[in-house]
Amino acid sequence: MFLVMKNIFLHLQCMNLGTEILVLLKKELVLEWRQKYAISGILLYVLSTVFIVFVSARELDPSTWNSFFWIIILFASVNAITKSFVQEGGNRQLYYYSLVSPLAVIISKIVYNVGLLLLISILTFFTFGLFSGSPVQDLNQFWLAIFLGSLGFSITFTFISAIASKSNNSATLMAILGFPVVIPILLMLIKLSSSALGLETKGNIDNDILILIGIDFLLVGMSIILFPFLWRD
Amino acid sequence: MIKHWWKVLGAGLVLYSLIVGLSVPLKSGVLDVSPSMLQGGKSYDLIINTYNATFSDENPIDVWIKVDDDNALAARAVKVLGETKLSAHFDIPNYFPNEKENWAYSIIINDKTNGAFIRPRSIAVKFDQINKEIWKNNPVGSLYKIDKMTFPFRSVLYETIRNTYYHVPMWFAMTIIFLVSVFYSIKYLRKKDPLVDLKVRSLTTVGVLLGFMGLITGSLWARSTWGTWWTFSEIKMNMAAIALLIYLAYFVLRNSFDDEEKRAKISAVYNVFACMAMIPLLFVIPRVVTSSLHPGNGGNPAIGGEDLDNTMRMVFYPAVIGWILMGIWLATLLYRVYKIEYKLLDDDV
Repeated sequence: MFLVMKNIFLHLQCMNLGTEILVLLKKELVLEWRQKYAISGILLYVLSTVFIVFVSARELDPSTWNSFFWIIILFASVNAITKSFVQEGGNRQLYYYSLVSPLAVIISKIVYNVGLLLLISILTFFTFGLFSGSPVQDLNQFWLAIFLGSLGFSITFTFISAIASKSNNSATLMAILGFPVVIPILLMLIKLSSSALGLETKGNIDNDILILIGIDFLLVGMSIILFPFLWRD
Repeated sequence: MIKHWWKVLGAGLVLYSLIVGLSVPLKSGVLDVSPSMLQGGKSYDLIINTYNATFSDENPIDVWIKVDDDNALAARAVKVLGETKLSAHFDIPNYFPNEKENWAYSIIINDKTNGAFIRPRSIAVKFDQINKEIWKNNPVGSLYKIDKMTFPFRSVLYETIRNTYYHVPMWFAMTIIFLVSVFYSIKYLRKKDPLVDLKVRSLTTVGVLLGFMGLITGSLWARSTWGTWWTFSEIKMNMAAIALLIYLAYFVLRNSFDDEEKRAKISAVYNVFACMAMIPLLFVIPRVVTSSLHPGNGGNPAIGGEDLDNTMRMVFYPAVIGWILMGIWLATLLYRVYKIEYKLLDDDV
């Protein structure tokens, strides 16, 4: 494992931010591919949760469908992202510090996690559709909600996992630090997707989307500003 | 003493808001009118229950049903049934001067001791005909004004209107104190001075205390006006609770580190991040998700509207400033305690 990473990092001398991010992204992908248990664990987690929901509820009306959908995605994202800083021990972190800039680390993690969460959301959506059929009326808007949701969850939880990884009981901290912070995003998402389900009128949906994007920008800005203070012990 | 002027000011303003806010009486008001559905062409004895009024037979009492700005209907006779109870005899005509059929009209009571007071939209009249010609107008005449300082009488709120001076300033003070704590967190990240971290700790503690007091006063208020201690259909209430959860998590985070420097640094980072995340929580979401019972949401009036009249402003703004100053004072006291603990610990080592 370490050898692979060394190979990747060998051509890292004197690189700009863009290439650093790309290299780190490649590293994340390779790592994920090597340790298949992590990604398959998350996917299995989603499948079994969706299964439990439908076994216990049998039929869901659209508003319950909506809230179950987002709650499953919320918990799956916490589980998927917790490991992004925890799994890499102190020594390896130290190795990164000597090679790349903190910006590249946090941005690459966020981008990678957006991809991961998109995968999880799409899988959840299709399993939901498989079991109960989809009540979604405006599919484009629902995809937009899924994309913005992955973005927001990824930014928040990646940064929170960077904080939680510094402590010994990071799994607990991840939930209690992350859930209250993510609630504004979650509420806006449920609002957006419930109008895509036809449960709400589309009064000023553009405004909601703008607010969601605004919150995402705010949080990504804070992550980028604050991460350099956080990463070096 | 000169140095501590702001503490004296803070304590004085809080004391002032407590004394004046609790002792000034409410303006007289109408509790209910029965019957409230009237049929044109009939005569009625309206029984009017009032609050904070003392009627006697010595002063003449006027009662009007106000139709619009120019037109009103005066009572034929007014009887005093009790100190706060009136009976007003009305002959309701079957024709009204404008077309607001079945519209709820206001009732106005006017006498020398209590001044004039109004209950908006309290009586509905069903009539057959719109006729300006034969309408006998008895416009609202000279109204008495009372010079006494009173707070407005609002149905549903009644005496709990005083809670405005305690519930709202808590949130103002909490927000200001959290913002100051973020300022010190940023200062810590630049200077790495452990004493600055102690300042952040004391400020956040006081902020959480003020937040809890805001939540408790709000819950009490909700009990008497909305009939429940807690409701999940009220967005502001729940967002405030979540904001407090964020700061409780802050203390859990602090306690999970043994190393002082690590604790200070990481909790400073979290404080800045959480405060930024709290801005949409408290100031954006409640304005977007419109199902709120709070004033200022869903068409209800708020501060600056008619809910806060001039006498209330005289108590409300001093209370806000007073609680902010008290919060800062409390934080400086806590800071001194933490500093002593810190020095003692240092000496032990």
